[in-house]
Amino acid sequence: MQEERLTIEEVLTQKGVYVGPTVGCSMLPMLKARRDTIVVKAKTERLKRLDVALYKRGDAYVLHRVLCPIDGGYIIRGDNCYADEYIPEKDILGVLTEFFRKGKHVLCTDKKYIQYAKRRLKTYKIRRFFVRIKVKIRRICSKIFRFFFPRKEK
Amino acid sequence: MKLKKGFVLRVVGGESVVVPVGELSKTFHGMINLNETGAFLWKFFTEEHTVEEGVVALCAEYDVSPEQAEKDVRKFVETLQANGFAE
Repeated sequence: MQEERLTIEEVLTQKGVYVGPTVGCSMLPMLKARRDTIVVKAKTERLKRLDVALYKRGDAYVLHRVLCPIDGGYIIRGDNCYADEYIPEKDILGVLTEFFRKGKHVLCTDKKYIQYAKRRLKTYKIRRFFVRIKVKIRRICSKIFRFFFPRKEK
Repeated sequence: MKLKKGFVLRVVGGESVVVPVGELSKTFHGMINLNETGAFLWKFFTEEHTVEEGVVALCAEYDVSPEQAEKDVRKFVETLQANGFAE
């Protein structure tokens, strides 16, 4: 074993493929943080709708799904996120090609996986609707709770 | 010698790669590329075994002399221990 300390970008440039754990909850329920393993290949061609792109935002690496390729970039959103973002083409480092979910190997070309990705996009509006209701209910409950149990002033 | 828990061996495009999962992924950020014999030894040492047992297993699996196998297993184990992969 030879030890090399490389960033994900360097791994993708030199080896063409990065294998590693996932962090964060933006791609739930597909990828769970620190449980699943992702296989990302360096970008060689323009990404398509439903591809999962790896890009860098500040110092953080982000893995989100392409909603729509547009001129000079992509509209992207995590499967568990409710805001779209524009990512320029130059910021895209790689594309998810396969992953291990609960130890099970899944290829991004699998029919079932593609069905899942389509379903995730199709149900976005209804999911967002229920999330908004959940947030409102939570706020109302919090207000009621604070009415009966106000915060002690310092 | 036994490998630390928290690493998983994945075969990607015919190559064996070890990556951290769970709590270990918070402290270990990297991927370990293994060749065929490295992957065999990695799987072997996921359970408690001695270097001698590793040599016997390697000789049984591959066409290699006991001297060469011992040299390779010792080097592999030393690398694992030096990098903190062993329990």
